[in-house]
Amino acid sequence: MRTLQARPLAGPSVAAAALVVATVCVLPLLVIGAQATGQGWGATRAQLLRPRVAELLGNTLALVGVTVTACVVLGVTAAWLVERTTLPGASVWRVLLVAPLAVPAFVNAYAWVSLRPGMDGLGAAALVTTLSYLPFVFVPCSAALRGLDQSWEDTARSLGLGRWRTFWRVVLPQLRPALLGGALLVALHLLAEFGVLAMLRYPTFTTAILEQYEAAFDLSAGGVLALVLMGLCATFLGLEYLLRGRRRHTRLGSGVVRRPEPVPLGRWLPVVLAGLTGLVLLALGVPLASLTRWLGSGGAPLLPPELIRSLASTGALAVAAGAVTVVAAFPLAVLLERRRGVLATALERVTYVSSALPGVVIALALVTLAIRWLGPLYQSSVLLVVAYVILFVPRATVSIRAAFGAAPPSLVEAARALGSSPLRALRRVVLPLVLPGVLGGFALVFIATSTELTATLLLAPTGTTTLATAFWSASDALDYALAAPYALAMIVLSAPLTWFVLRRPEEVNT
Amino acid sequence: MSRRLITTATTVLTALTLAACGTGSTTSAPSSSTAGASPSGSITLYSAQHEDLVKEWVDGFTADTGITVQVRQGKDASMGSQIVAEGAKSPADVFVTENSPAMTLVEKAGLLAPVEKATLEGVGTAYRPSSGAWTGIAARSTVLVYNPSKIAEADLPASLMDLQDPRYAGQWGAAAGGADFQAIVAGMLAAKGEKATADWLAGLKANAQVYQNNTATMKAVNAGEIPMGVIYHYYWYKDQAKTKEGSGNTKLHYFKGQDVGAFVSVSGGGVLKSSANPAAAQAFLAWITGPKGQQILSTSQSMEYAVGTGSASDPALPALDSLEAPTVDPSALNGAAVIELMTNAGIL
Amino acid sequence: MSGLSLRGVTASHGRHVVLRDVDLDVTRGSTTAILGPSGCGKTTLLRVVAGFHRADAGLVTIGGTAVCGPGLDTPPERRGIGYLAQEGALFPHLSVAENIGFGVPRRAPGRTARIEQLLLLVGLDLEMGARRPDQLSGGQQQRVALARALAREPDLVLLDEPFSALDTGLRASTRRAVADALAAQGVTVLLVTHDQDEALSFADQVVVMDSGRVLQAGPPAELYATPADRLTAAFLGEVSTLPGTAREGVVECALGRLPLVTACSGPVEVSLRPEQIRLTRGPVAGTDRSPAKVTHVDYFGHDALVHLVLGADTPVLARTVAAADLPSPGEVVSLDVLGPVLAFPSP
Repeated sequence: MRTLQARPLAGPSVAAAALVVATVCVLPLLVIGAQATGQGWGATRAQLLRPRVAELLGNTLALVGVTVTACVVLGVTAAWLVERTTLPGASVWRVLLVAPLAVPAFVNAYAWVSLRPGMDGLGAAALVTTLSYLPFVFVPCSAALRGLDQSWEDTARSLGLGRWRTFWRVVLPQLRPALLGGALLVALHLLAEFGVLAMLRYPTFTTAILEQYEAAFDLSAGGVLALVLMGLCATFLGLEYLLRGRRRHTRLGSGVVRRPEPVPLGRWLPVVLAGLTGLVLLALGVPLASLTRWLGSGGAPLLPPELIRSLASTGALAVAAGAVTVVAAFPLAVLLERRRGVLATALERVTYVSSALPGVVIALALVTLAIRWLGPLYQSSVLLVVAYVILFVPRATVSIRAAFGAAPPSLVEAARALGSSPLRALRRVVLPLVLPGVLGGFALVFIATSTELTATLLLAPTGTTTLATAFWSASDALDYALAAPYALAMIVLSAPLTWFVLRRPEEVNT
Repeated sequence: MSRRLITTATTVLTALTLAACGTGSTTSAPSSSTAGASPSGSITLYSAQHEDLVKEWVDGFTADTGITVQVRQGKDASMGSQIVAEGAKSPADVFVTENSPAMTLVEKAGLLAPVEKATLEGVGTAYRPSSGAWTGIAARSTVLVYNPSKIAEADLPASLMDLQDPRYAGQWGAAAGGADFQAIVAGMLAAKGEKATADWLAGLKANAQVYQNNTATMKAVNAGEIPMGVIYHYYWYKDQAKTKEGSGNTKLHYFKGQDVGAFVSVSGGGVLKSSANPAAAQAFLAWITGPKGQQILSTSQSMEYAVGTGSASDPALPALDSLEAPTVDPSALNGAAVIELMTNAGIL
Repeated sequence: MSGLSLRGVTASHGRHVVLRDVDLDVTRGSTTAILGPSGCGKTTLLRVVAGFHRADAGLVTIGGTAVCGPGLDTPPERRGIGYLAQEGALFPHLSVAENIGFGVPRRAPGRTARIEQLLLLVGLDLEMGARRPDQLSGGQQQRVALARALAREPDLVLLDEPFSALDTGLRASTRRAVADALAAQGVTVLLVTHDQDEALSFADQVVVMDSGRVLQAGPPAELYATPADRLTAAFLGEVSTLPGTAREGVVECALGRLPLVTACSGPVEVSLRPEQIRLTRGPVAGTDRSPAKVTHVDYFGHDALVHLVLGADTPVLARTVAAADLPSPGEVVSLDVLGPVLAFPSP
């Protein structure tokens, strides 16, 4: 009670709880490090310096380079067209451009490869990942553009800059945090991507780690690759942090943001409409057409009993993962919002690095831990949920933290001054304000869990299949008709939650 | 206050999770079996075999014996290594593979209980290791699938070894990352030695397209993306028996003549020493190598060869003894050495 | 010589017409304030002049050059304007000096000197140039924004409520500094505001707008003294309104018979500025002074605004020089009126 009185919800117990969560998140990193270097420096060096690693590094960086660039260019352009021009039906376009979020990337790859079996390599991988990850850039940029005060642009125009130079010198710098955040998200997803790249036969570190695992089930060889991958993750995180700089949005006073006046498209309208239609057809039309084709092919029953079973276990796992992750994220979010400092920031970054690693790496580390020390947890859903928490905790943290920002201590103080007890203030003021953010965090984790593949493959209890693993085993055997109902089920499961999350766009950008 | 809330919530949720995914910890449930009485209870099967085939085996076995089987699906090498890593604590009672190297790996770790004599005697001697630590449960033959519109029959290589030749650059594909292919390479290593195998793998790296699995390789040949592919026979026969969608434009080429390319790979089955229900585990192995289990190989359109004495394979297949396969003791196949060679060649 | 002229300008947001047939003339080098309630169209007028918003019809000329008319819409960057937004709109990613130099080509000779000169012009120290916008106070931000707007030596400077976001204390001093800097440059200025004090003190000409139309334009003192209608009168300052009957240059109302500024007849509403009403403590019998009851007093230090009720329920405002003996609420005082009064026909 005393903590509530002094500093609502930020006592030392919260810091301790956050520390526990961060420790759990960092454990896999330690296991990987120990395993990768456990065979001695010489052996590690030899594995690190072989040509295959260079090849994988080249492949990984090439894919990141192409896809991130494409997502940034397309995402910013699309966001600008939707938010800042006289584009007819802008709100419909906004939904259509965000909707690919509900189609898991590996389902998208399946859709493409089942229609065009020959497609593979960098081009194919870049195409499919760009279409799948475009919303990561579009959503934050579109939100940033919507919130951008037009007086900056007006001022630049009055100072002699044309529309194009105004965009470069004024709008783009203001979009930088949103843009970098989106680009980082795309890059980290690419590093961890397995399904898409396996289907399109484009080897990267993550697919190679999976291959190593299939060959040897341990981390000694794959661990070195995982170590390089960790290095890449950390580099991207650091790069984004440096480039973002100190974030400033200075406006005098708290007046209303001027609603931007839309730029007339004029004779460009047909070109713009054709371009956006093409983009949406590629990103949404292809998966839907492909799914329709395979569902209608009659090659497999639409509602096999296995589907119901895996739907149930996916739902149960996703609910459990969502709830536990929200609880785990709570102390971290409170700490970040109420007592931002070195400790809070350090703990936050730690959870970022672990969550940026591919599921298989986290899962392998947990398997190693479980076999040696946590016998009863081995192959239990508890361990699987722990993996989900490690992989997805930042998503919930960001969401809950934003929610706590909406309930500043001054509101609690106001409630206290109006005669509320601390508990009553929590219930009547803090919870109603925080709840949407908590639900948003839950939804994000639910969606991520329901389509998670590689950690689930390794850690799922014997006899448990999820939609993602069932989909994968069917599409891995190239049985596209059998895979289709599972793909559809994943989309149906995550679509409404995606919609819910998108009403709070600031949270998509972790 | 908030902390107690969080602790309580965590406990409740963890319990919920366990309840929700009820199958979570069945492996730790005691499954008793008393010597002498007919086996009962349940067993856990680690299976790297094809899911549909295993499902038919399991359903038939459970119907006959009342013993329930929990199946954990995986891949040869990773599952073999997983059992080794789990050691005496492994939840597995029975392990079945697609190829023998993974079985040998577990055998060498000393984790397998001897297979019951009656079971071993039901399987042809060529299809089980001399040690008797495990037994063959099915077999598959290496084949070269080719697209006649892309390469003339006369231009096909006489031996699998010829595929390293620069004239076949960009002419063939294989699922080099998979256990099936690694078994073929293990056969090559046993027959030709390390130097020849390493050279051949270097040729593979230079000449071949790597696909994610045999089906993808076959479909790529069928679509004319690549003229030839090294696969196992049953992928082709399965597709032929169905729609021919992935193989209609292709033909099979058998190397024969004891060529390494005529290698026949044995799928293995073994009982874990650590099994909590060894009687039921042995019963399962006996059942799948017995007449009913072997018959499923020919009736289920799995198109894998039966290895039980007196059991017939699917009539669409050429007789197993007509393939002129090289003679290899399955125990001699060294999976770890193959992985190392492939890693050195930059394939893994 | 015309600094800015508008003829028959009509503009709309979607289907909502916000400017109707507006005419306006601003002499070169003078300052005009556009005054009106929010939603009256004054900001749209400024945006039409700037080129941010396209007019549906009409002609706009800046310094003798047509910038907007039939088939013509010069983009804002080529209109030779300076623009100062309501909240400064300093670019947060640039330093103060970079903000000021934003519109000056990077390699232009004397760029640095020009930036320093502008800093001094708006009354800021040179070392401010290295600061970030968020290290400045609100008033300093507006001064930087003005310096930036003047950097390209515009013919016309447009000010969009530039002082409304500032604290009262800062407002007057910033306004002074801005007015001085603008006067030093001798540019034509168009100011948009809803604050009558600002309009009256800042401008050579005040234009009152409502519902997209210009109600009246003229020098501040003229508008204040002789507004054309009740609305204009109300925008320009506090007024008390009394019903009355006018005849032959005189109006009869609750404050007695008062001389009219402009003759009219019939039922009217008398419009009285607080400073026109003189207040005497205690009831004075028999004279032309009317008794009224004090309801409350707004005390400002230099003066005070006394709220009164005349008769049963007619509210009246009187301004008085603050003194030690201000009346207290409940007290009855006598009122009389100084000089001729304004009256508008009853609606």
